[in-house]
Amino acid sequence: MSSKADWKTILEPVDPNSNEPLFFSPHEWDTVEALAARIIPTDHDPGAKEARVIVFIDRYLSGINYVFASADGSGFLEMDGKHAHSWRARISELQQVYRQGVIDVDSESQAIFGAPFLDLDVDSQDAVMVKISGSPKPASVNLGTTEPSTTFFQFSSDDGLPFWPALCLHVKQGFYADPVYGGNKDRMAWNIIGFDGPKSLKDTMDGTYTTADKFVSDYDWGDLIPVLKEQEDFPIPVMSDIIYK
Amino acid sequence: MTKKQKPDAVDVVIVGLGANGGTAAKVLSEAGLKVVGIERGPWLKNDKHYSGDELKFVNRNYMWPDSRLTPRTVRRNENDVAEPYPFSMTPQLVGGGTNHWAGWVPRPRESDFMLRSLHGDIDGASLADWPFRYDHLEPYLTKIEWEFGVSGIAGADRTEPFRSKPYPSMPLPPTRWGKKFYDACNTMGINAFPIPHASVTNNHKGRNPFNRTSFWNQYGDPSGARSNTATTFIPEALATGNFELRADCFVREVKMGRNGKATGVIYIDDDGAEVEQDAKIVILTLGAIESARLMLMSKSPEFPDGIANSSGLVGKNATFHEYLFAIGFFDKEIDDPVYGWAGNYISGGTMDFYETDESRGYIGGSITAASQTCHPINMVFPGRPLWGQALKDSDRTFFSYAMKIGLILHDLPQEANRVDLDPNVKDYMGLPVARITHKAHANDVAMGKWQVDKNVEILETAGARKTIPVYLDQMTGNTCHQHGTARMGFDPSKSVLNEWCQAHDVENLFVLDGSGFPTATGVNPTLTMMANAWRCSDYISDYYLKGREMRLPEPK
Repeated sequence: MSSKADWKTILEPVDPNSNEPLFFSPHEWDTVEALAARIIPTDHDPGAKEARVIVFIDRYLSGINYVFASADGSGFLEMDGKHAHSWRARISELQQVYRQGVIDVDSESQAIFGAPFLDLDVDSQDAVMVKISGSPKPASVNLGTTEPSTTFFQFSSDDGLPFWPALCLHVKQGFYADPVYGGNKDRMAWNIIGFDGPKSLKDTMDGTYTTADKFVSDYDWGDLIPVLKEQEDFPIPVMSDIIYK
Repeated sequence: MTKKQKPDAVDVVIVGLGANGGTAAKVLSEAGLKVVGIERGPWLKNDKHYSGDELKFVNRNYMWPDSRLTPRTVRRNENDVAEPYPFSMTPQLVGGGTNHWAGWVPRPRESDFMLRSLHGDIDGASLADWPFRYDHLEPYLTKIEWEFGVSGIAGADRTEPFRSKPYPSMPLPPTRWGKKFYDACNTMGINAFPIPHASVTNNHKGRNPFNRTSFWNQYGDPSGARSNTATTFIPEALATGNFELRADCFVREVKMGRNGKATGVIYIDDDGAEVEQDAKIVILTLGAIESARLMLMSKSPEFPDGIANSSGLVGKNATFHEYLFAIGFFDKEIDDPVYGWAGNYISGGTMDFYETDESRGYIGGSITAASQTCHPINMVFPGRPLWGQALKDSDRTFFSYAMKIGLILHDLPQEANRVDLDPNVKDYMGLPVARITHKAHANDVAMGKWQVDKNVEILETAGARKTIPVYLDQMTGNTCHQHGTARMGFDPSKSVLNEWCQAHDVENLFVLDGSGFPTATGVNPTLTMMANAWRCSDYISDYYLKGREMRLPEPK
């Protein structure tokens, strides 16, 4: 068994324009794509459909070849040993969750509107999704309020999730993840929200990609920290002490 | 299971090569001792394995333990059946939590070492003083700051106790949201300063800190900016020729001999074979959850309830902190962007609310700091719409217009809050997993409420037009800080370890992680842990292994 440190790089970055499913049936592909298009809809900006979220989800569910991109984004890591075993089990469960999820969406559509999900207009599709999710359609977030919350688990793993939260999480992941995974085509999702992300993962490994311009460039520690001027034990440092400004 | 031939006996075997195991490896191998370090995870290389891939590092747990292979379970009450829950899953690999950490390394305060002397017995809590004081640790805090690499501005924190030296590196410039924090604090008369950071901005000890990508907290750093024992202390230990590193090897037992001492450890190597490593000294540095688990799994005729556990306290009095915060949103139509996603996680912070003020309704206090709101998939945004136009609109509106002010909750120890072996759930090797029993103390809830409300006040002063305070319900283990499961003390009936983190029951067994902390402190613990690991390692090489003894007088 090889160490995680020795996993080899296989395959190539996923082609977002592919229309060939590795996992979904044609009907599942179309239905999940339609669901994704309502989770992150298209408006004056592109949405999940244009960003090719469907390709991202299909590749993820196809096995364990598309779980971890290699560090430089040239391909994917080939897992083995206990990690491969664990991921096979996790993906296999998700495959069942999605297969059953699409069936449930269609039977809900039939029950309410007498037609499969794909034949519905978008408002009817939303009504089905409200029913599936068990909650009202999310309302917009407004300024001018305080909305308390309590501590929650901050790691967004999909392990053991039911269909609806798994789908919402995967659509968000496909929309915003590095394009190597097949979604976020041409980094369009990052452009929409104003995230100046890296052109490639490799650019984050060697200093090519930098966000230094998002820091404050004109500042004086003595102004920010008035107490520095009162203390005498240590000198107030100056910018020239930093090599990476 | 196949058994392999015993390797040669060594002076010291260290189990777990994170912040503290890395420190012990460096100090003891540089002292000329033969040291073997055993790490259950892999040895990833920062320049080869790390990059800014949010999905891989934050969602798919590339660096974090796989919760199917090594689950943990949690329950709130004694009689509940614990449920699987990835509680405090600190990365398990060479370098441990120093691979992924944001790297807050504030110094502890004098009051942290004497909470019981200051406050007496608090109902429901098991306060205890530390067996040493800030002054004992100060030289070692300085050693870690200089040897490991910490950036900060000496004198900027008006509440800091004596320090013997300034910092070896300057902090990064303030972020935009950090500047908002400084400005609001100055308006409110709060002393804000750059939180000391386990990273460098200069060529300290030959490092090349080029990473300005903002892929920081939870990501591995491909550059030499972050202080990580895998890129600092462990290579320094290897350079002595006295240290051998064995990665991907799982220690399942500390073995007792017939003379009341441990003989070494038994581990399963990466071929699945069982190996026994003998050593004069066994050091545990797996983190307070896994060190306690290993001690409880190491049963022998002398110690049927786990090694060095005659007090019955191994696993008890566990404290975990909790990261609480408030989010503030600005108005895209009017305000400048604050780029909450940019930066190396922390910028300005304050210790002004750290010391007890009983008018607030609780004892103790916490460090407070502005911090990153993270990347697009995982933007820290409680109440972020799950789907639909509302999701798209809020992401577009707030991604660059959000900031966060958080705190590290100084939770009180309670004997019933503990780590033990789950009777039902096993890991991939069939070994019982760590079960966490934890219920927050009323003091924890009150402290969290007051401090989060203070954070809201700072955000509002900074001009935030919407706030989302996040209060404590129950601990989720979201800080990865772990302490208290083998508390230090002078009385062997009330503590597991002495003032050198040496087991009262087994003189050649040392536990040099947070397990020994009698109380949690309200600062991020790693600097204190590493300084203490260095201090105790000095005791091992200068006294214990030379057959000498030195006892500290009990502080008054």
